[in-house]
Order: sequence, then C-alpha cells, then structure tokens
Amino acid sequence: MDVVSMLGMPGAALRVPRPQWRQSLSAALLEAFEFHLANNGFYRALCEAEGIRAGDIGGDGDLHRIPLLPVGMFKQANAHVMLTAGLADIELEIRSTGTGGIPSVSRRDATTVTRASVGIFGGYRDFFGISKGAGLFLCPSTAEVPEMGMVKVFNLLTGMLDDHRYLVHEFSFDPNEALDQLRRWEGRMTRHIVGPPFIIARFMRFLELEEIPLQLDPESMIIMLGGWKQYTGRSISREEFDANAERLLGVEPARIRDMYGMIESNMLAIECEHHRKHVPPWCYVSIRDITDPAVELAPGRTGGIAILDALNTSYPGFLLSDDVGEVDESDCPCGRTGQTVRFRRRRQGAELGCCAVSIEKYLDSQQVVADCDLAGSPAAAGR
Amino acid sequence: MARYSPTVIDHFTNPRNCGRLADPDVTVFVGNPVCGDQILLTARVRDDCVTEAGFEAYGCSASLAVASILTEHLSGMPMPVIADVDEAQVLAWAGGLGPDQRHAATLGADVAHRLAENHRAGTSDGDAIGCDG
Repeated sequence: MDVVSMLGMPGAALRVPRPQWRQSLSAALLEAFEFHLANNGFYRALCEAEGIRAGDIGGDGDLHRIPLLPVGMFKQANAHVMLTAGLADIELEIRSTGTGGIPSVSRRDATTVTRASVGIFGGYRDFFGISKGAGLFLCPSTAEVPEMGMVKVFNLLTGMLDDHRYLVHEFSFDPNEALDQLRRWEGRMTRHIVGPPFIIARFMRFLELEEIPLQLDPESMIIMLGGWKQYTGRSISREEFDANAERLLGVEPARIRDMYGMIESNMLAIECEHHRKHVPPWCYVSIRDITDPAVELAPGRTGGIAILDALNTSYPGFLLSDDVGEVDESDCPCGRTGQTVRFRRRRQGAELGCCAVSIEKYLDSQQVVADCDLAGSPAAAGR
Repeated sequence: MARYSPTVIDHFTNPRNCGRLADPDVTVFVGNPVCGDQILLTARVRDDCVTEAGFEAYGCSASLAVASILTEHLSGMPMPVIADVDEAQVLAWAGGLGPDQRHAATLGADVAHRLAENHRAGTSDGDAIGCDG
C-alpha cells in the first residue's frame, strides 16, 4: 500500500497484516528519505557526516539508520537550513511554545498540509466515527491562536460536527459558560467535549465542587490532546480523570480518548477504545537509547522517541524528539496492527513544552491578575 | 499575491547581521508573550547614529526576516528617525506582509522604538533570549 492509498483508506491501512504493514511503511519511508536526500543540501551533509548514502537504506531493518533531526532545531534562528522546500512554497507555519518561551516553529508546504490534514481527518473518522453532534472545545479557537498546533489539530474535528463552540477566550475560561452551552445542546445533539486534559479536569472539578449533576449522552466522547503534565510539573492521573469523567459526565472510559503528537511531526497517534495510541501507517516510531540515540531499542523498552514520517515534503520528517516512552508491536484487541506508542515523560533537561502547557500557564497568570484586581478593588477593600 | 515577498524570502533564507555584537552600546529585546516571537537586537551607536546592528530572532519566518531587514535599514540611521519608524515603514521595507504576518511588522516597529528609548535612557534590556536548541 503506498502513501496515497494509506491516506485514502486509513482504516484499511491500520488493519493490514503485520508483514504488509512493515513492507508498505518501509517503502514509503525509503521514498521520503531519498526525496530529502536528493533535494536538501543540509540533510545530505548530515547523512554524509553519518556515513549514510543513497542505497544504504533498504528494507525495514534499515529504518533506524535514517539520520534524524533533533526537534530542538525547530527552535533555532537558522531553522531555514532544514527546509527541503523553499520559503516560497511554505503554506503554513505551526508553532508550539513551551515553558522556556522560545517557540518551536514547523513549516509545511502545500503537499504536506494536504497530506497531514487528510491523514488526521481520516484518523478521526476511523477512531471516533463521528459525523454529527456538537463539540464543546475547551481551548482557544484557531482565530485567537491561528498558529498553535494543538488547536489546529482540534479544529479539524469541527468539520465533522453539526455545531461547536470554543470556550477559552483571551486565555480565560468560565466553566459556567461551558455548562450553559452543554445544557443548550441537551436533547438536541450528542455532546462531545474536546480539549487538553487540564481544562477538562478543571471543568469536572467545578462540577464536583458546585455539586452540579450532568450526564452527557450515550455516544458522547471526550477527545484530548496536550499531555497530562501541568506547567507546575504535577501530573494529572489518567485513572482518576477517567473515573471522574464517568461519575461527573457519564462518559464511559472506552469513549475517553487521548492523542499524542508533536507539531514538528505529522504523526498523530490516536487512542482506540482499549486506550492504546496507534501510530499512523505512514509513520514509524523508533525508540532510542537515551545515552546513544544511534541505538534502537526493542519494542517494550523505554527510551527516547524518534518519529519517522513519510508525509513531509517541506523538511525531512525524521525527528528525534525530547520525549521518552515506548512502542508496542503486539496485536491490539481493536484489530488494528502496526505500532502503538506510549509517552512516559520528557527527556531529562528538556523544557516542559507544548501548546497545552502554554495555555494553562497563561490561564493561571490571568487568574492571578484577576484575583489581584479583585483584592485591590474598592469592593474588596470594604469586605 | 505570493505568500512571502521576495525581500522576506531573501532575508529569511540569507539572514544578514545574524548574531550579537560584542560590547554593544544598546541591547533591545522585544517579545510577544502570546505567539512567542522574539527579537534581540544589539547596536553600536556613534554621534546618535546606529553604525552597526546584529540580531537574534525566534518565531515565524516573517519575524526572522524582519529582524534581518531591520539591521540593514537601521544601520546609518539617526536615533530621532529610528524613534519614528512605524509599522507601515517596516511593512514597506519587507515588501509587504500577509494579514497573518503583520504582527512581525508591529514587532519590528516596537524594536525600533525601544532601541531609540534605550539609547536615550542609556539603558539596555537584559538577556531574555536563550535557546536550548
């Protein structure tokens, strides 16, 4: 199966027998590798420095030898050297800002944008089966933060829904507004909640503290992206989150789905009902030894997450991330083959960086400002 | 209209005066806290005129190009003129920017104003840029 067929039939591509998956993936990645090697002088020099030439990468046993770009390069001022496409061909810039404040910017040309959009859309269809209903988006809109990767990925979901609303405005979130909107949709549409885990957790905490009974609909889903670690360093417990969502929103765990991705890659790993995040058929996740990234670790072992992505034509989509986790190549009960990926933590010394963390940090700073204003107001002084 | 002007493409692809000057007379840092674009500009000043400028920038392609463009245009310019550089001027220098890139012109004008302000006040901004990449 070639890349075009994978994109056109993601459901079928995710369920091909394992030998066919390996063969198709290797062929797609080899083609991408040869394209960048031929058209990107910087990448060619990198390959030469690592002693890799065209023809050195053959079958799937060689995939780990494809030279990788560290994601930190996307933060560098001279990131233009990574581009295979010229700036004139770049259609979309997507960014993520972590706790360090330096934005990571990835630049995609028209081919990559088309492929990535179709791929994500196809993934949503295959994993969620959503084609109607209403979406409560607990995040800023793309109009407010047009280049933020996370909201761009969420925004593609809106095209499958009959109605939607973004509930974070100017980096503030009012849970009463979210509740009112869910009540307005009640009895008319299946209600879904979409957003980073920490804002959904905030909404659930509000429902719990205010003792507000709320049961969503039988087919409601909670769809998340953005990670479980807060900017404070504290993690949200997934088990606790799922239990709260079932108790406070009436959404069973199988319909609570998290996703994993990074703006520098076109890989969006979506959770199936068994809570395994499936790597798209055009990507290969290679786990690397933390101390020696040239060494690939076997499935099940924990190490640095490298992503090899066959969709990217604007820059080589062969990336060594700052994330640590593992892959699983065992069959999933959902029937999908290929790999599943599990994120564990950020690499030691890497900044805590993603769109969700930035939103949370900003939301909290706004809250502090609001609290200070209140404390300094004449009404507060009279209390 | 092409997404990027030939000037922006040129400066993004071949940035001029990239890096910090050693022992600058003025250091300017301007960042957008929401989108994260940042420009740090260092300049040498003689007789109220910028004689040399260097930049470090992070963010979208337009912001990186504008930082490079600024260093060329500000060099040789008297401080009173720099204080009057506005968004329209930066837009013209850049050969035009799309609606989603206009923030780079605002950022560029802010850098020019701050350069003039810092020079007048005899101050410099701290080192706000530090890249782990």
